[in-house]
Amino acid sequence: MVKVYSINNCPWCDKVKKYLKSRQVDYVECNIEESEAFLAECQALTNDEAVPVVTVDGKEYVLGFDNGKLDALLGL
Amino acid sequence: MSVYDFSAKTNSGEEKSLRDYAGKVLVIVNTASKCGFTPQYKELQELYDKYQDKGLEILGFPCNQFGAQEPGTNSEVQQFCRRNYGVSFQIFEKGDVRGETAQPLFKYLTAEKGFKGFDKEHELSAILMDALKKHYPEYLEDEGIKWNFTKFLIDREGNVVERYEPTTSPSAMSAAIEKLL
Repeated sequence: MVKVYSINNCPWCDKVKKYLKSRQVDYVECNIEESEAFLAECQALTNDEAVPVVTVDGKEYVLGFDNGKLDALLGL
Repeated sequence: MSVYDFSAKTNSGEEKSLRDYAGKVLVIVNTASKCGFTPQYKELQELYDKYQDKGLEILGFPCNQFGAQEPGTNSEVQQFCRRNYGVSFQIFEKGDVRGETAQPLFKYLTAEKGFKGFDKEHELSAILMDALKKHYPEYLEDEGIKWNFTKFLIDREGNVVERYEPTTSPSAMSAAIEKLL
């Protein structure tokens, strides 16, 4: 399951979500401002609190809006 | 009347009365709502690191009424955002800080302390003045907030002691803050 870690008012998060939708990739949004649990997950994965973070396996991830890296991560 | 008569919503949706901060020295600052970690956020965090233990609280209010590019900065664009703008002090919900739609707290703050001009010595004053004349000339007509990172210093009893324009760096406020702590 593709996870997208995000915060509110985040133009880069919006761009990533829009891109995933356009490529018909289903994802679960994990807002790290609204959930302590998601915040902890994101910190454990990336050692940081920057978003958007996209991950499939919870190990490899892409930080930020980068089509090329997203395509590579998701095999698009 | 004091700042304690006002409340605002934090960026996690909690309604917070400023009375919760009674007894603290406060720096209330309107911040840029762009999510990049600008130098001003860094300096505010440094101030917080230095004085939080002694009773300083910093309250950040993001606002996008000053939409143009920060004058005097280069356009390095990071394509990600930091939670809470990468700072550990309290950030509130995005809102207006000037004009008719300004939130009540900021109408109060600017009524208490008007605009006295930008620090003429500061290298950015002329650039900021130009940007305002070009993009938002109406902002120059009143006592309201002129740009991101206008700061208000509040004493332990909720009185507005001073207003600092964006051209005054947070570190330049140290002496005034120490007097109140």
